[in-house]
Amino acid sequence: MATRKAYGFALAKLGRASDRVIALDGDTKNSTFSEMFKNEYPDRYIECYIAEQNMVSVAIGCATRDRTVAFVSSFAAFFSRAFDQIRMAAISESNINLVGSHCGVSIGEDGPSQMALEDLAMFRSVPTATVFYPSDGVSTEKAVELAANTKGVCFIRTSRPENTVIYNNNEDFQVGQAKVVHQSKDDHVTVIGAGVTLHEALAAAEHLKKEKINIRVIDPFTIKPLDVKLIIDSAKATKGRIVTVEDHYYEGGIGEAVASAVASEPGIVVHRLAVSHVPRSGKAAELLQMFGIDKEAIVQAVKKAISSSANGK
Amino acid sequence: MEDYHKPDQQTLQELRNIANRLRINSIRATTAAGSGHPTSCCSVAEIMSVLFFHTMKYKAQDPRNPNNDRFVLSKGHAAPVLYAAWAEADYLKETDLLNLRKIDSILEGHPVPRQEFVDVATGSLGQGLGAACGMAYTGKYFDKASYRVYCLLGDGELSEGSVWEAMAFASHYQLDNLVAILDINRLGQSDPAPLQHHVEKYQKRCKAFGWNTIVLDGHSVEELCKAFGQARQQPTAIIAKTFKGKGIAVAEDKLGWHGKPLTKELAEPVLKELQSQLLSKSKRLYPSLPVDDAPNVNIRNIRMPSPPSYKPGEKMATRKAYGFALAKLGRASDRVIALDGDTKNSTFSEMFKNEYPDRYIECYIAEQNMVSVAIGCATRDRTVAFVSSFAAFFSRAFDQIRMAAISESNINLVGSHCGVSIGEDGPSQMALEDLAMFRSVPTATVFYPSDGVSTEKAVELAANTKGVCFIRTSRPENTVIYNNNEDFQVGQAKVVHQSKDDHVTVIGAGVTLHEALAAAEHLKKEKINIRVIDPFTIKPLDVKLIIDSAKATKGRIVTVEDHYYEGGIGEAVASAVASEPGIVVHRLAVSHVPRSGKAAELLQMFGIDKEAIVQAVKKAISSSANGK
Repeated sequence: MATRKAYGFALAKLGRASDRVIALDGDTKNSTFSEMFKNEYPDRYIECYIAEQNMVSVAIGCATRDRTVAFVSSFAAFFSRAFDQIRMAAISESNINLVGSHCGVSIGEDGPSQMALEDLAMFRSVPTATVFYPSDGVSTEKAVELAANTKGVCFIRTSRPENTVIYNNNEDFQVGQAKVVHQSKDDHVTVIGAGVTLHEALAAAEHLKKEKINIRVIDPFTIKPLDVKLIIDSAKATKGRIVTVEDHYYEGGIGEAVASAVASEPGIVVHRLAVSHVPRSGKAAELLQMFGIDKEAIVQAVKKAISSSANGK
Repeated sequence: MEDYHKPDQQTLQELRNIANRLRINSIRATTAAGSGHPTSCCSVAEIMSVLFFHTMKYKAQDPRNPNNDRFVLSKGHAAPVLYAAWAEADYLKETDLLNLRKIDSILEGHPVPRQEFVDVATGSLGQGLGAACGMAYTGKYFDKASYRVYCLLGDGELSEGSVWEAMAFASHYQLDNLVAILDINRLGQSDPAPLQHHVEKYQKRCKAFGWNTIVLDGHSVEELCKAFGQARQQPTAIIAKTFKGKGIAVAEDKLGWHGKPLTKELAEPVLKELQSQLLSKSKRLYPSLPVDDAPNVNIRNIRMPSPPSYKPGEKMATRKAYGFALAKLGRASDRVIALDGDTKNSTFSEMFKNEYPDRYIECYIAEQNMVSVAIGCATRDRTVAFVSSFAAFFSRAFDQIRMAAISESNINLVGSHCGVSIGEDGPSQMALEDLAMFRSVPTATVFYPSDGVSTEKAVELAANTKGVCFIRTSRPENTVIYNNNEDFQVGQAKVVHQSKDDHVTVIGAGVTLHEALAAAEHLKKEKINIRVIDPFTIKPLDVKLIIDSAKATKGRIVTVEDHYYEGGIGEAVASAVASEPGIVVHRLAVSHVPRSGKAAELLQMFGIDKEAIVQAVKKAISSSANGK
């Protein structure tokens, strides 16, 4: 299940819970899957056409005086069109929820104009923001419910590729609570990924196991706030070694969030994998490889983290 | 302006043939790729045919020639038809078209400047016309040349406000060398566009914005030829009524076909049908050659005519130093231009305007368009553009800035009024996330000069540095701390205060660098020595100097910035040293939405003033296992 599609199911489901839940989209409803909500509740869906600045402003207006719970969707990249409006939304103490699909190089052939590679940096810099980056269908649905009940600007980053559901339906999710999705009694490196890169990390874990290297894989769930305690505890349990991997540029994303969170702890080293320059068109798997954020790159980074660590394995 | 001579029947028939060949190749390419937008290509086939083989003057084998007419495909998802047109012009090989979207082909899903025939990347809608305005403005007022600019827009993207900013700009500046073609094919991605086929409503809107308008059948090569041949004193909008998917019977004018390639099975009969419409060509059409009257231009190595001339200890706000510096740079080259969004008396770009009014473009309160215009002005290296506004308002143009990087643009953006230190105007005017924004731009260089001398150096460096350059300036007056002959380089930090035995490295910039220097004086009295670093550029960061300094100060770094915690100096430093064990970073920044107040009060309230730095230094020492 692609998380973008899980969002569609989740939003329609939430619509059943309250008739004050409304959805807005900028002529991308068949790509973001907000159309699933529209099909069920056409009177609560506002088509804003290709005008993202206005769409965000309209949502802010709809949410004033707590009249509605607004969910705004588009390609994550196009929320950059409305950054000033989002910046002002925080100053307005607005509670809008923004859901951006098609994150990262993993969208494939459409190319960089459609890829969000700076959206985590943008939303993390928004003072009242909560940044969700769910990695499967279950956690996406939980993110939608949490966002509806969380004050401030909430952002949910969804992906285009189909990825495996990894959580049980009854798994509890909370803002600021990461999940350890793979571990053993003796882990050598902590690997933190999200969305497609969480699944690449899980694949890397299987591969490394064969070479008798164990990694602890963490799903942050929310990039802001980050579950700093769990990350630091995990780092300490893995000889201070962390590898982060994200479908996002280096600046302002998961790697920098983790590095700054552990910066006041001596003895923790963070190796970061991210997209280093403007990407291009290609198949998703080819791009993940070309930009060094796939299973193979994670395997190499883990080995490098071990060898460069003074403590050995 | 040429007189309109009606083309002969052979020409018209060949133009129709070309249109259908463009359809055939768009379908073939997207079917081979398994993705793409054939129906969006089919609605503009006649438009592209007439533009490329009748109207535009250009050298097909030299797409970047400065004399060529410019073409901007604002509806960038129609890239396959653009590639097909260049194959038709023999610049690309027809067989290469089938490599559309492959990892090793330059024919990407949306146009990018690695293709010689593309000046600005498109794909995020509504941005092409602003860039076209910049090109047209440059052609008319700077190059004073004959080349014309053509911009093809879709009707879905006409909902974008940025399009109407550009429309207002073009008529205000009487860009009569600019033609916008609006492909009114009725259908957007997931629904019809709001005005559907009401071409008369589009005409009223374009007229209201001061444009000449011509409404026509977008599938009639004859009407298109006539429309393009008309003379004008204002920019012209060709409002072309078309059908999405024209030529594909199963998809024509139907919803649900946006971004859907034809399967091989569906494509076969469609291609057969299109091929059958090709009448035997008796006349090969070649684009007309351009007039060679664009001046030779060299924007390389623009140097300030003289070094900075500040007195040490002089008080100078970096925003004002920018004004002096830009005017000075203007003396060095007549290709330096400035743009501002009705803030020129606050950003001090007015100092440039006063000296070089012909090279200053007032863009009014329309930052999206201002950035796009600058991008257009800078294409083909015709100008070195400096764009200024309050740093906070560049967030209005983040998508344009994002696309500027994909466009490999060399624009320079200068944002004033950064941080809480602007004081009473309050948070709506304060940039507290601009470092995060600009750092995330892949080709960007981020300057954060802390005094008059370094600001002037930053301006000179920016003019000569490729990529998107951002200079962050401040409102408060701060002391000049550098000598006029101090050398500055991108990625080179300065140690502005040190001793033989420093206990903590403190990194600040702008107002917080001066707070750090004040903290250094205070701490000295308590026998605590700090090494104060001015990063000068936050991106790239002088990682080596910072790590060396940290190692010399027992691994202790304190960063302090007039910016939120996320994505700024603190995170840049923390991530730069993250792979080094033994270095600890304590970060001071603004933690939540600020408020109005005096600058000094706000610096204190948000914990980034001298006193907060003193406390942070003491805490860094006491929490460090190594003691003092």
